[in-house]
Amino acid sequence: MVELQQVSKRFRGRAGEVIALAEVDLHVAPGEFVVVRGPSGSGKTTLLLALGGMLRPTGGKVLVNGVDVYALTERERARFRGENIGFVFQMFHLVPYLTVLENVALAATAGRTSTVWAAAGELLGRLGLSPRERHLPSELSAGERQRVAVSRALLNHPKLVLADEPTGNLDPDNAAEVFEGLAVFHRRGGTVVVVTHGTTADHHANRIVHLRDGRIDGGSGEKRMA
Amino acid sequence: MRTLGLIVREALYRKLSFGLGLLGVAAAVALFVFFFTAGEASRRETARLTRNMGLNLRIIPKDTDMDRFWLVGFSDRTMPEDYVHRLAAHSGLNYSHLLPTLKRRMQWRGTEVILVGTLPEMSAVDRQESPMTLAAKPGAAWLGYELARRFGVEKNDTIDLLGKTLTVAGTLPESGSEQDASIFAQLHDVQAMVKTEGAINEIQALNCVCFDTDRDALEVLREQLASALPDAKVLQIRPIADAREKQRRLVEDYLAVIIPFIVVVCAAWLGVLAMMNVRERRCEIGILRALGYGSGTVASLFLGRAAVVGIVGGALGFAVGTALALTYGPQVFKVTGQAIRPMYALLVWSVLAAPAFAGLAAVIPTMLAVTQDPAVTLRDT
Ligand SMILES: Nc1ncnc2c1ncn2[C@@H]1O[C@H](COP(=O)(O)OP(=O)(O)OP(=O)(O)O)[C@@H](O)[C@H]1O
Ligand SMILES: [Mg+2]
Repeated sequence: MVELQQVSKRFRGRAGEVIALAEVDLHVAPGEFVVVRGPSGSGKTTLLLALGGMLRPTGGKVLVNGVDVYALTERERARFRGENIGFVFQMFHLVPYLTVLENVALAATAGRTSTVWAAAGELLGRLGLSPRERHLPSELSAGERQRVAVSRALLNHPKLVLADEPTGNLDPDNAAEVFEGLAVFHRRGGTVVVVTHGTTADHHANRIVHLRDGRIDGGSGEKRMA
Repeated sequence: MRTLGLIVREALYRKLSFGLGLLGVAAAVALFVFFFTAGEASRRETARLTRNMGLNLRIIPKDTDMDRFWLVGFSDRTMPEDYVHRLAAHSGLNYSHLLPTLKRRMQWRGTEVILVGTLPEMSAVDRQESPMTLAAKPGAAWLGYELARRFGVEKNDTIDLLGKTLTVAGTLPESGSEQDASIFAQLHDVQAMVKTEGAINEIQALNCVCFDTDRDALEVLREQLASALPDAKVLQIRPIADAREKQRRLVEDYLAVIIPFIVVVCAAWLGVLAMMNVRERRCEIGILRALGYGSGTVASLFLGRAAVVGIVGGALGFAVGTALALTYGPQVFKVTGQAIRPMYALLVWSVLAAPAFAGLAAVIPTMLAVTQDPAVTLRDT
């Protein structure tokens, strides 16, 4: 599903060069649930953005579903992202002036409106948000907002969902609900890569990857789950 | 969701920012519309007034005693009738509708009347003009309102005047001026009647506003007359129209200074607001990118917003500017209230030019929005 080949990312700043990713090789099989862990500044977010076609690496190749993501034009890549990848962020990043339902529907860059609304409503229902459809994000609790963001990431039936500390701002109960949402997607065959500090997601995970200083930690660095 | 839908929702959500943008556009457009509407009314009314007042220049012999002139109402000196031909033959003058005139006071049916002899107007050589005054045919006369009323004279009656019989070609409507006590006849008839063949005591003319220098109109006219007819001088009788014209010029001069200023301030205002809007929406731009929207959508979101601000602000500004012109225009431009009419052509201009202008002001902020690296904003810092 996902293939990172010798992926590097260097940031050149005024204070010198930062190596956020150092020749990372990573293979994520279709239908896998991967948890990425590591200390702050180890390159987790960088890895996820590179994976999602949002941040061009300085070296190496990113293949998603067999497509060399950064060989695409900007426009093709945007389209590819819309069709294949869903994002969930720590800060939710909901559009403040749109209702919950509209925020989810926003993920549909194309397609018939009626089917989009129906699909958005159904996803929200599954995550227990039906009564909140017409509310603005500011009227929701943090946990509810993140479930909206999960619904939005799932709307286009992506093959891959990338989540960057999706529960960083949530209490354990809400965190569990969010991971449950991702787990449902995973059980239906979806691929998930999630960066998280907590252990709430561990029992859903097939594998935990440790990052340190931009490298995958310890030999293969991968711990297979049962 | 449609881009326009997003723009409208965002505008309703960030009412203050959107409202401030509207305010900027509406204020600028209102100002333009106000001055155009009221200024156009002023121009129109001045033109009408000048025409209604009739010929506004009086060319009289240079040695006229001005005290007597104002007392009697015309010059007691004469000049050759030929002067009118000389003036007409001169090209490049700001005189038009030349009308040779001979005026005399006399007794008629026991009352004092003014006898006026005129010819059909002459045009200056280089102009085609339609006549502005009536001219009596030989043997005919027009009677002023007051005389016609007092003596019950009607069209086709005959009147005796200094031993000559004239047929009444018509009577004139009330004018509220000396014209009501005047009898108009053909110049050559009058010359014969008062025994001053070939002489006139006045050439009436119209100051054509076909020049627009900064110089005083009368000064130019005097200079021109000095070279064409050294023995004559010119008086200008248009105090109202003149004051109005001066007022309009004053406002136009003022506008010439203030318009560039308004344009720059308005552009800066819109640009800064658009910039703030882009900054405020960095995360939104990032998420749109992550969701697979391209640069085109992001750009149209911000340019479209500017266009909406422009269209709504332009329409609003037109309404406000027109209302202001109707209310305060008469004071600023010294025109009558009825002269000011809404100029709907300006509405079309407002809703076309304002969005284009607002869009231009938003170009740089939009470029920043488009080129912004979504990875930076999505890093959750
Ligand atoms: N735009 C940038 N310019 C310079 N350095 C950057 C930039 N973005 C990230 N970095 C650096 O790259 C390294 C990896 O950053 P990254 O955000 O991927 O870490 P992270 O593992 O997600 O950390 P955290 O757990 O705190 O979110 C850090 O040292 C960071 O300072
Ligand atoms: Mg991070």
